Amino acid sequence: MSELIAKLKSEIKRLFDEDVVDVVIAFKKADSPLRPQPAFYRKGDSLEDLEYNSLCQNNLANYLTRYPHETRIGIVVRGCESRSVNALVVEKQHPRENLFKIGIPCQGIVDLRKIVKQTGEDVSGYKEDQEKISVVFKNKEYQFDRKDVLHDSCLRCVHPNPVNPDVLLGDPLPEGDPGVLRQAVESFEALTKQERYTWFQQEAERCIRCYACREACPMCYCTECFVDHNPPRWTESTISPAGTQAWHIIRAFHQTGRCTSCGACERACPMDIKMTYLTDKLNEDMLNQYDFAPGMDDTTQPPFASFNLDDKNRFVA
Amino acid sequence: METKPKIALFQCQWCLYSEPDQYWVDHNLPPSIRLMKVSCTGRINTLHILNAIQGGADGVMISGCRPEKCHFKEGNLSALRQHEEFLNLLDYIGYERDRVRFVWLDLQDRGRIQQELADFENKLQELSTANTLATRINAPEGEVHV
Ligand code: SF4
Ligand code: SF4
Repeated sequence: MSELIAKLKSEIKRLFDEDVVDVVIAFKKADSPLRPQPAFYRKGDSLEDLEYNSLCQNNLANYLTRYPHETRIGIVVRGCESRSVNALVVEKQHPRENLFKIGIPCQGIVDLRKIVKQTGEDVSGYKEDQEKISVVFKNKEYQFDRKDVLHDSCLRCVHPNPVNPDVLLGDPLPEGDPGVLRQAVESFEALTKQERYTWFQQEAERCIRCYACREACPMCYCTECFVDHNPPRWTESTISPAGTQAWHIIRAFHQTGRCTSCGACERACPMDIKMTYLTDKLNEDMLNQYDFAPGMDDTTQPPFASFNLDDKNRFVA
Repeated sequence: METKPKIALFQCQWCLYSEPDQYWVDHNLPPSIRLMKVSCTGRINTLHILNAIQGGADGVMISGCRPEKCHFKEGNLSALRQHEEFLNLLDYIGYERDRVRFVWLDLQDRGRIQQELADFENKLQELSTANTLATRINAPEGEVHV
Protein backbone atom coordinates (compact mmCIF):
# COMPACT_ATOMS: atom_id res chain seq x y z
CA MET A 1 0.00 0.00 0.00
CA SER A 2 2.68 2.52 0.95
CA GLU A 3 4.17 2.08 -2.50
CA LEU A 4 0.81 2.84 -4.08
CA ILE A 5 0.30 5.86 -1.86
CA ALA A 6 3.71 7.18 -2.85
CA LYS A 7 2.79 6.79 -6.52
CA LEU A 8 -0.50 8.50 -5.89
CA LYS A 9 1.17 11.43 -4.17
CA SER A 10 3.66 11.96 -6.94
CA GLU A 11 0.91 11.77 -9.57
CA ILE A 12 -1.18 14.34 -7.71
CA LYS A 13 1.87 16.55 -7.30
CA ARG A 14 2.52 16.30 -11.04
CA LEU A 15 -1.08 17.25 -11.83
CA PHE A 16 -0.77 20.41 -9.78
CA ASP A 17 2.73 21.25 -11.02
CA GLU A 18 1.72 20.89 -14.64
CA ASP A 19 -1.50 22.76 -13.95
CA VAL A 20 -3.73 19.97 -15.19
CA VAL A 21 -6.32 20.24 -12.42
CA ASP A 22 -7.66 22.73 -9.87
CA VAL A 23 -8.68 20.26 -7.20
CA VAL A 24 -8.05 16.59 -6.45
CA ILE A 25 -10.66 14.45 -4.71
CA ALA A 26 -9.05 11.63 -2.74
CA PHE A 27 -8.97 10.19 0.76
CA LYS A 28 -7.11 11.34 3.85
CA LYS A 29 -6.28 9.88 7.24
CA ALA A 30 -8.74 10.63 10.01
CA ASP A 31 -8.85 10.25 13.79
CA SER A 32 -9.71 6.57 13.65
CA PRO A 33 -7.57 4.42 11.38
CA LEU A 34 -10.79 2.62 10.45
CA ARG A 35 -12.36 5.66 8.89
CA PRO A 36 -10.38 7.49 6.21
CA GLN A 37 -12.32 10.53 5.04
CA PRO A 38 -12.82 12.17 1.64
CA ALA A 39 -10.24 14.90 1.03
CA PHE A 40 -10.18 17.84 -1.36
CA TYR A 41 -6.68 18.99 -2.19
CA ARG A 42 -5.81 22.25 -3.86
CA LYS A 43 -2.48 23.34 -5.27
CA GLY A 44 0.00 23.95 -2.46
CA ASP A 45 -1.82 21.78 0.09
CA SER A 46 0.31 19.26 1.94
CA LEU A 47 -0.34 15.71 0.79
CA GLU A 48 1.08 14.37 4.04
CA ASP A 49 -2.24 12.97 5.30
CA LEU A 50 -3.27 11.39 1.97
CA GLU A 51 -4.59 7.88 2.47
CA TYR A 52 -5.65 4.99 0.33
CA ASN A 53 -6.63 1.52 1.51
CA SER A 54 -9.56 -0.86 1.54
CA LEU A 55 -11.25 1.05 4.34
CA CYS A 56 -12.08 3.99 2.09
CA GLN A 57 -15.86 3.64 2.18
CA ASN A 58 -17.19 6.56 0.18
CA ASN A 59 -17.87 6.67 -3.51
CA LEU A 60 -15.84 9.78 -4.38
CA ALA A 61 -17.83 10.40 -7.56
CA ASN A 62 -20.45 11.71 -5.16
CA TYR A 63 -18.51 14.98 -4.86
CA LEU A 64 -18.22 15.74 -8.59
CA THR A 65 -21.59 17.40 -8.74
CA ARG A 66 -20.61 19.90 -6.05
CA TYR A 67 -18.23 21.76 -8.34
CA PRO A 68 -18.99 24.18 -11.18
CA HIS A 69 -18.46 22.69 -14.63
CA GLU A 70 -15.39 24.88 -15.21
CA THR A 71 -13.48 23.38 -12.28
CA ARG A 72 -10.86 20.94 -13.50
CA ILE A 73 -11.21 17.99 -11.16
CA GLY A 74 -8.72 15.23 -10.55
CA ILE A 75 -10.37 12.28 -8.89
CA VAL A 76 -9.12 9.00 -7.49
CA VAL A 77 -11.34 6.29 -8.92
CA ARG A 78 -11.69 2.59 -8.27
CA GLY A 79 -13.81 0.39 -10.55
CA CYS A 80 -17.25 1.46 -9.38
CA GLU A 81 -16.26 5.09 -8.96
CA SER A 82 -14.95 5.30 -12.51
CA ARG A 83 -18.29 3.98 -13.72
CA SER A 84 -20.19 6.44 -11.55
CA VAL A 85 -18.08 9.25 -13.02
CA ASN A 86 -18.92 8.02 -16.53
CA ALA A 87 -22.62 7.85 -15.72
CA LEU A 88 -22.44 11.41 -14.39
CA VAL A 89 -20.66 12.57 -17.55
CA VAL A 90 -23.42 10.98 -19.65
CA GLU A 91 -25.95 12.90 -17.55
CA LYS A 92 -23.99 16.10 -18.21
CA GLN A 93 -23.08 16.66 -14.58
CA HIS A 94 -19.48 17.49 -15.43
CA PRO A 95 -17.71 17.82 -18.78
CA ARG A 96 -15.31 14.96 -19.49
CA GLU A 97 -12.55 17.34 -20.60
CA ASN A 98 -12.50 18.90 -17.14
CA LEU A 99 -11.94 15.58 -15.44
CA PHE A 100 -8.76 13.68 -14.79
CA LYS A 101 -9.38 10.17 -13.52
CA ILE A 102 -6.60 8.63 -11.47
CA GLY A 103 -7.52 4.96 -11.64
CA ILE A 104 -6.67 2.30 -9.08
CA PRO A 105 -7.69 -1.34 -9.63
CA CYS A 106 -9.75 -2.18 -6.56
CA GLN A 107 -9.43 -5.23 -4.36
CA GLY A 108 -12.72 -4.48 -2.70
CA ILE A 109 -13.87 -2.31 0.17
CA VAL A 110 -13.74 -3.78 3.65
CA ASP A 111 -17.05 -3.74 5.49
CA LEU A 112 -16.36 -2.02 8.81
CA ARG A 113 -19.30 -3.73 10.44
CA LYS A 114 -17.84 -7.14 9.78
CA ILE A 115 -14.65 -6.14 11.59
CA VAL A 116 -16.09 -4.12 14.43
CA LYS A 117 -18.51 -6.93 15.25
CA GLN A 118 -15.51 -9.06 16.22
CA THR A 119 -13.21 -6.45 17.68
CA GLY A 120 -14.75 -3.21 18.88
CA GLU A 121 -15.05 0.39 17.68
CA ASP A 122 -11.84 1.78 19.16
CA VAL A 123 -9.36 0.27 16.77
CA SER A 124 -5.87 1.72 17.10
CA GLY A 125 -4.02 0.15 14.21
CA TYR A 126 -4.70 -1.22 10.74
CA LYS A 127 -2.62 -3.10 8.16
CA GLU A 128 -3.53 -4.90 4.97
CA ASP A 129 -1.99 -6.90 2.15
CA GLN A 130 -3.40 -8.87 -0.77
CA GLU A 131 -4.95 -11.60 1.36
CA LYS A 132 -4.96 -10.49 4.99
CA ILE A 133 -6.43 -7.62 6.93
CA SER A 134 -5.14 -7.02 10.42
CA VAL A 135 -6.39 -4.59 13.03
CA VAL A 136 -5.19 -3.74 16.51
CA PHE A 137 -7.76 -3.37 19.25
CA LYS A 138 -6.75 -2.83 22.88
CA ASN A 139 -3.19 -3.93 22.09
CA LYS A 140 -4.38 -7.19 20.61
CA GLU A 141 -3.94 -7.96 16.94
CA TYR A 142 -6.83 -9.51 15.01
CA GLN A 143 -6.30 -11.10 11.60
CA PHE A 144 -8.95 -11.55 8.94
CA ASP A 145 -9.02 -13.07 5.50
CA ARG A 146 -9.80 -10.29 3.07
CA LYS A 147 -12.67 -12.18 1.47
CA ASP A 148 -14.35 -12.69 4.86
CA VAL A 149 -14.61 -9.00 5.59
CA LEU A 150 -15.25 -7.48 2.16
CA HIS A 151 -18.49 -5.60 1.68
CA ASP A 152 -21.20 -7.71 0.00
CA SER A 153 -21.32 -5.45 -3.07
CA CYS A 154 -17.59 -5.90 -3.51
CA LEU A 155 -17.84 -9.68 -3.27
CA ARG A 156 -20.21 -9.45 -6.23
CA CYS A 157 -18.14 -6.90 -8.17
CA VAL A 158 -17.73 -7.62 -11.88
CA HIS A 159 -15.53 -4.69 -12.95
CA PRO A 160 -12.87 -3.96 -10.30
CA ASN A 161 -10.70 -2.12 -12.84
CA PRO A 162 -11.36 1.54 -13.56
CA VAL A 163 -13.07 2.13 -16.91
CA ASN A 164 -11.22 4.62 -19.17
CA PRO A 165 -8.97 6.21 -16.51
CA ASP A 166 -6.52 8.93 -17.59
CA VAL A 167 -3.78 7.19 -15.67
CA LEU A 168 -3.75 3.79 -14.04
CA LEU A 169 -1.75 3.18 -10.85
CA GLY A 170 -1.20 -0.47 -9.99
CA ASP A 171 -1.69 -3.63 -12.02
CA PRO A 172 -5.08 -4.50 -13.53
CA LEU A 173 -6.98 -7.27 -11.76
CA PRO A 174 -8.95 -10.12 -13.33
CA GLU A 175 -12.58 -9.21 -14.04
CA GLY A 176 -15.20 -10.63 -11.68
CA ASP A 177 -17.67 -13.35 -12.49
CA PRO A 178 -21.12 -12.05 -13.61
CA GLY A 179 -22.59 -15.31 -12.29
CA VAL A 180 -21.72 -14.23 -8.76
CA LEU A 181 -23.48 -10.91 -9.26
CA ARG A 182 -26.51 -12.89 -10.40
CA GLN A 183 -26.56 -15.08 -7.28
CA ALA A 184 -27.99 -12.48 -4.92
CA VAL A 185 -30.87 -11.62 -7.24
CA GLU A 186 -31.38 -15.26 -8.12
CA SER A 187 -31.72 -16.40 -4.54
CA PHE A 188 -34.18 -13.61 -3.82
CA GLU A 189 -36.23 -14.49 -6.87
CA ALA A 190 -36.33 -18.11 -5.76
CA LEU A 191 -38.41 -17.14 -2.72
CA THR A 192 -42.20 -17.16 -2.88
CA LYS A 193 -44.10 -13.93 -3.40
CA GLN A 194 -45.06 -13.89 0.25
CA GLU A 195 -41.49 -14.39 1.44
CA ARG A 196 -40.20 -11.70 -0.88
CA TYR A 197 -42.76 -9.22 0.35
CA THR A 198 -42.05 -10.05 3.98
CA TRP A 199 -38.34 -9.56 3.44
CA PHE A 200 -38.88 -6.27 1.64
CA GLN A 201 -41.26 -5.12 4.32
CA GLN A 202 -38.88 -5.99 7.14
CA GLU A 203 -35.98 -4.20 5.52
CA ALA A 204 -37.87 -1.12 4.35
CA GLU A 205 -39.85 -0.59 7.53
CA ARG A 206 -36.78 -0.41 9.75
CA CYS A 207 -35.78 2.74 7.90
CA ILE A 208 -35.50 5.90 10.00
CA ARG A 209 -35.56 8.21 6.96
CA CYS A 210 -32.17 9.72 7.64
CA TYR A 211 -31.38 9.70 3.89
CA ALA A 212 -27.75 8.77 4.45
CA CYS A 213 -28.14 6.32 1.55
CA ARG A 214 -29.17 9.16 -0.71
CA GLU A 215 -26.40 11.46 0.45
CA ALA A 216 -23.79 8.74 -0.12
CA CYS A 217 -24.95 7.94 -3.64
CA PRO A 218 -23.25 9.73 -6.53
CA MET A 219 -26.33 9.30 -8.69
CA CYS A 220 -28.66 10.94 -6.14
CA TYR A 221 -27.75 14.50 -6.99
CA CYS A 222 -31.17 16.14 -7.40
CA THR A 223 -31.29 19.39 -5.47
CA GLU A 224 -34.83 18.60 -4.46
CA CYS A 225 -35.63 14.96 -3.83
CA PHE A 226 -39.18 13.67 -4.24
CA VAL A 227 -39.34 13.04 -0.50
CA ASP A 228 -38.49 16.64 0.30
CA HIS A 229 -41.38 18.18 -1.60
CA ASN A 230 -43.65 20.50 0.30
CA PRO A 231 -47.35 19.65 0.40
CA PRO A 232 -48.92 18.08 -1.52
CA ARG A 233 -46.37 15.39 -0.93
CA TRP A 234 -45.57 12.50 -3.19
CA THR A 235 -45.18 10.14 -0.26
CA GLU A 236 -45.53 10.16 3.46
CA SER A 237 -42.35 11.58 4.86
CA THR A 238 -42.67 9.95 8.25
CA ILE A 239 -41.47 6.51 9.23
CA SER A 240 -44.92 5.05 8.59
CA PRO A 241 -44.90 1.72 6.73
CA ALA A 242 -46.32 3.38 3.61
CA GLY A 243 -43.70 6.11 3.73
CA THR A 244 -40.71 3.85 4.20
CA GLN A 245 -41.91 1.39 1.57
CA ALA A 246 -42.43 4.17 -0.93
CA TRP A 247 -38.99 5.59 -0.18
CA HIS A 248 -37.29 2.26 -0.76
CA ILE A 249 -39.22 1.44 -3.92
CA ILE A 250 -38.76 4.82 -5.56
CA ARG A 251 -35.20 5.45 -4.42
CA ALA A 252 -34.20 2.19 -6.04
CA PHE A 253 -36.33 2.77 -9.12
CA HIS A 254 -34.75 6.16 -9.77
CA GLN A 255 -31.44 4.31 -10.03
CA THR A 256 -32.56 2.10 -12.90
CA GLY A 257 -29.81 1.98 -15.49
CA ARG A 258 -27.74 4.43 -13.44
CA CYS A 259 -26.60 2.58 -10.32
CA THR A 260 -23.07 1.21 -10.56
CA SER A 261 -23.48 -1.25 -7.66
CA CYS A 262 -20.86 0.46 -5.52
CA GLY A 263 -22.75 -0.34 -2.33
CA ALA A 264 -22.09 3.09 -0.79
CA CYS A 265 -25.77 3.33 0.12
CA GLU A 266 -25.69 0.16 2.19
CA ARG A 267 -22.42 1.10 3.84
CA ALA A 268 -23.85 4.49 4.82
CA CYS A 269 -27.06 3.13 6.32
CA PRO A 270 -27.01 3.36 10.13
CA MET A 271 -29.73 0.70 10.31
CA ASP A 272 -27.78 -1.80 8.20
CA ILE A 273 -30.71 -2.07 5.80
CA LYS A 274 -30.16 -4.09 2.65
CA MET A 275 -31.02 -2.25 -0.55
CA THR A 276 -28.65 -3.34 -3.28
CA TYR A 277 -30.85 -6.39 -3.93
CA LEU A 278 -33.28 -3.90 -5.46
CA THR A 279 -30.85 -1.95 -7.59
CA ASP A 280 -29.00 -5.09 -8.69
CA LYS A 281 -32.27 -6.51 -9.99
CA LEU A 282 -33.03 -3.33 -11.94
CA ASN A 283 -29.54 -3.34 -13.39
CA GLU A 284 -29.87 -6.94 -14.39
CA ASP A 285 -33.11 -6.18 -16.22
CA MET A 286 -31.44 -3.31 -18.05
CA LEU A 287 -28.66 -5.62 -19.13
CA ASN A 288 -31.01 -8.36 -20.29
CA GLN A 289 -33.52 -6.14 -22.03
CA TYR A 290 -31.37 -3.38 -23.45
CA ASP A 291 -27.86 -4.78 -23.22
CA PHE A 292 -26.92 -1.80 -21.10
CA ALA A 293 -24.61 -1.59 -18.11
CA PRO A 294 -24.23 1.80 -16.38
CA GLY A 295 -20.95 3.66 -16.71
CA MET A 296 -19.17 1.35 -19.12
CA ASP A 297 -18.48 4.34 -21.35
CA ASP A 298 -19.12 8.07 -21.10
CA THR A 299 -21.47 8.54 -24.06
CA THR A 300 -24.24 5.91 -24.09
CA GLN A 301 -27.57 7.13 -22.71
CA PRO A 302 -29.30 4.83 -20.20
CA PRO A 303 -32.38 2.93 -21.47
CA PHE A 304 -34.98 5.23 -19.91
CA ALA A 305 -33.49 8.14 -21.82
CA SER A 306 -33.08 6.33 -25.13
CA PHE A 307 -36.52 4.90 -25.93
CA ASN A 308 -37.44 4.77 -29.61
CA LEU A 309 -39.93 3.34 -32.07
CA ASP A 310 -38.17 -0.02 -32.10
CA ASP A 311 -40.15 -0.62 -28.93
CA LYS A 312 -43.44 -0.52 -30.78
CA ASN A 313 -43.88 -4.28 -30.91
CA ARG A 314 -43.89 -4.38 -27.16
CA PHE A 315 -47.23 -2.59 -26.92
CA VAL A 316 -49.50 -5.48 -26.11
CA ALA A 317 -53.29 -5.33 -25.80
CA MET B 1 -71.82 -8.15 0.51
CA GLU B 2 -69.11 -8.12 -2.06
CA THR B 3 -67.65 -4.70 -2.68
CA LYS B 4 -66.34 -3.78 -6.07
CA PRO B 5 -62.59 -3.40 -6.41
CA LYS B 6 -61.45 0.20 -6.49
CA ILE B 7 -59.77 1.14 -9.72
CA ALA B 8 -57.70 4.20 -10.51
CA LEU B 9 -57.94 4.93 -14.22
CA PHE B 10 -55.31 7.14 -15.76
CA GLN B 11 -56.36 8.30 -19.18
CA CYS B 12 -54.27 10.23 -21.62
CA GLN B 13 -56.42 13.15 -22.72
CA TRP B 14 -55.41 12.68 -26.34
CA CYS B 15 -56.39 9.04 -26.34
CA LEU B 16 -58.75 8.86 -29.25
CA TYR B 17 -61.80 7.25 -27.77
CA SER B 18 -64.91 7.35 -29.89
CA GLU B 19 -67.31 10.03 -28.76
CA PRO B 20 -69.83 7.85 -26.88
CA ASP B 21 -66.96 6.03 -25.09
CA GLN B 22 -65.38 9.27 -24.01
CA TYR B 23 -68.75 10.51 -22.84
CA TRP B 24 -69.18 7.39 -20.79
CA VAL B 25 -65.74 7.75 -19.22
CA ASP B 26 -66.28 11.41 -18.45
CA HIS B 27 -69.82 11.18 -17.06
CA ASN B 28 -70.94 7.66 -16.30
CA LEU B 29 -68.05 5.86 -14.63
CA PRO B 30 -69.21 3.72 -11.70
CA PRO B 31 -68.20 5.14 -8.30
CA SER B 32 -65.61 2.39 -7.81
CA ILE B 33 -63.57 3.78 -10.68
CA ARG B 34 -61.78 7.06 -10.31
CA LEU B 35 -60.61 8.92 -13.39
CA MET B 36 -57.37 10.89 -13.61
CA LYS B 37 -56.85 12.62 -16.93
CA VAL B 38 -53.26 13.31 -17.82
CA SER B 39 -51.71 15.18 -20.68
CA CYS B 40 -49.89 12.07 -21.96
CA THR B 41 -48.97 8.64 -20.59
CA GLY B 42 -45.43 10.01 -20.58
CA ARG B 43 -46.60 12.47 -17.94
CA ILE B 44 -47.45 9.66 -15.54
CA ASN B 45 -44.74 9.28 -12.99
CA THR B 46 -44.27 5.91 -11.35
CA LEU B 47 -45.03 7.81 -8.16
CA HIS B 48 -48.57 8.41 -9.43
CA ILE B 49 -49.01 4.66 -9.75
CA LEU B 50 -47.52 3.99 -6.34
CA ASN B 51 -49.63 6.74 -4.82
CA ALA B 52 -52.78 5.22 -6.24
CA ILE B 53 -51.82 1.83 -4.81
CA GLN B 54 -50.85 3.23 -1.43
CA GLY B 55 -53.93 5.42 -1.47
CA GLY B 56 -56.00 2.26 -1.43
CA ALA B 57 -56.70 1.43 -5.08
CA ASP B 58 -57.05 -2.29 -5.71
CA GLY B 59 -55.95 -1.84 -9.27
CA VAL B 60 -54.50 0.77 -11.58
CA MET B 61 -55.36 0.99 -15.25
CA ILE B 62 -53.43 3.19 -17.62
CA SER B 63 -54.93 3.93 -20.97
CA GLY B 64 -52.72 5.46 -23.62
CA CYS B 65 -52.30 5.82 -27.34
CA ARG B 66 -50.89 3.19 -29.63
CA PRO B 67 -47.28 3.61 -30.80
CA GLU B 68 -46.94 6.20 -33.57
CA LYS B 69 -50.25 7.72 -32.47
CA CYS B 70 -48.89 9.66 -29.51
CA HIS B 71 -49.82 13.35 -29.54
CA PHE B 72 -46.32 14.15 -28.35
CA LYS B 73 -44.76 11.59 -30.70
CA GLU B 74 -42.93 9.50 -28.15
CA GLY B 75 -44.43 10.10 -24.72
CA ASN B 76 -45.98 6.65 -24.74
CA LEU B 77 -42.66 5.04 -25.68
CA SER B 78 -40.96 6.59 -22.69
CA ALA B 79 -43.88 5.58 -20.48
CA LEU B 80 -43.74 1.98 -21.64
CA ARG B 81 -40.07 1.48 -20.79
CA GLN B 82 -40.40 2.96 -17.35
CA HIS B 83 -43.71 1.49 -16.32
CA GLU B 84 -42.88 -2.01 -17.48
CA GLU B 85 -39.73 -1.95 -15.43
CA PHE B 86 -41.58 -0.49 -12.48
CA LEU B 87 -43.91 -3.47 -12.60
CA ASN B 88 -40.93 -5.81 -12.72
CA LEU B 89 -39.68 -4.17 -9.55
CA LEU B 90 -43.05 -4.38 -7.80
CA ASP B 91 -43.32 -8.00 -8.81
CA TYR B 92 -39.82 -8.65 -7.48
CA ILE B 93 -40.76 -7.37 -4.02
CA GLY B 94 -43.83 -9.57 -3.99
CA TYR B 95 -46.60 -7.25 -5.18
CA GLU B 96 -49.14 -8.73 -7.58
CA ARG B 97 -48.19 -7.12 -10.89
CA ASP B 98 -51.53 -7.98 -12.46
CA ARG B 99 -52.99 -5.22 -10.33
CA VAL B 100 -51.58 -2.71 -12.77
CA ARG B 101 -52.67 -2.93 -16.38
CA PHE B 102 -51.99 -0.99 -19.53
CA VAL B 103 -54.36 -0.61 -22.44
CA TRP B 104 -53.30 1.07 -25.62
CA LEU B 105 -56.33 2.26 -27.49
CA ASP B 106 -57.25 3.68 -30.82
CA LEU B 107 -60.29 5.39 -32.32
CA GLN B 108 -61.34 2.13 -33.90
CA ASP B 109 -61.58 0.40 -30.56
CA ARG B 110 -65.21 1.30 -29.96
CA GLY B 111 -66.64 0.01 -26.71
CA ARG B 112 -63.30 -1.42 -25.75
CA ILE B 113 -62.62 0.67 -22.65
CA GLN B 114 -65.82 -0.56 -20.97
CA GLN B 115 -64.84 -4.12 -21.82
CA GLU B 116 -61.30 -3.67 -20.53
CA LEU B 117 -62.49 -2.19 -17.25
CA ALA B 118 -64.98 -5.01 -16.72
CA ASP B 119 -62.29 -7.62 -17.42
CA PHE B 120 -59.91 -5.89 -15.07
CA GLU B 121 -62.54 -5.76 -12.36
CA ASN B 122 -63.07 -9.51 -12.64
CA LYS B 123 -59.35 -10.14 -12.59
CA LEU B 124 -58.90 -8.03 -9.46
CA GLN B 125 -61.59 -10.00 -7.69
CA GLU B 126 -59.68 -13.20 -8.33
CA LEU B 127 -56.36 -11.93 -6.99
CA SER B 128 -55.33 -12.51 -3.43
CA THR B 129 -55.23 -9.45 -1.24
CA ALA B 130 -51.93 -10.35 0.43
CA ASN B 131 -48.83 -8.21 -0.14
CA THR B 132 -50.72 -5.20 -1.37
CA LEU B 133 -48.20 -2.71 0.05
CA ALA B 134 -48.85 -0.53 3.07
CA THR B 135 -51.54 2.10 2.53
CA ARG B 136 -51.03 5.66 3.55
CA ILE B 137 -53.20 7.48 6.02
CA ASN B 138 -55.80 9.27 3.94
CA ALA B 139 -56.01 13.00 4.08
CA PRO B 140 -59.43 14.32 5.12
CA GLU B 141 -61.67 15.21 2.18
CA GLY B 142 -60.56 18.47 0.60
CA GLU B 143 -57.19 18.57 2.34
CA VAL B 144 -53.77 17.67 1.09
CA HIS B 145 -51.18 15.24 2.34
CA VAL B 146 -48.51 16.65 4.57
S1 SF4 C 1 -27.75 3.17 -5.38
FE1 SF4 C 1 -26.15 2.48 -3.91
S2 SF4 C 1 -24.94 0.99 -5.10
FE2 SF4 C 1 -26.11 2.18 -6.59
S3 SF4 C 1 -24.76 3.89 -7.22
FE3 SF4 C 1 -26.04 4.63 -5.50
S4 SF4 C 1 -24.80 4.27 -3.67
FE4 SF4 C 1 -23.91 3.00 -5.31
S1 SF4 D 1 -29.60 5.22 5.11
FE1 SF4 D 1 -30.87 3.51 5.85
S2 SF4 D 1 -32.13 4.35 7.52
FE2 SF4 D 1 -31.27 6.09 6.39
S3 SF4 D 1 -32.87 6.60 4.88
FE3 SF4 D 1 -31.43 5.17 3.85
S4 SF4 D 1 -32.32 3.15 4.20
FE4 SF4 D 1 -33.32 4.53 5.64
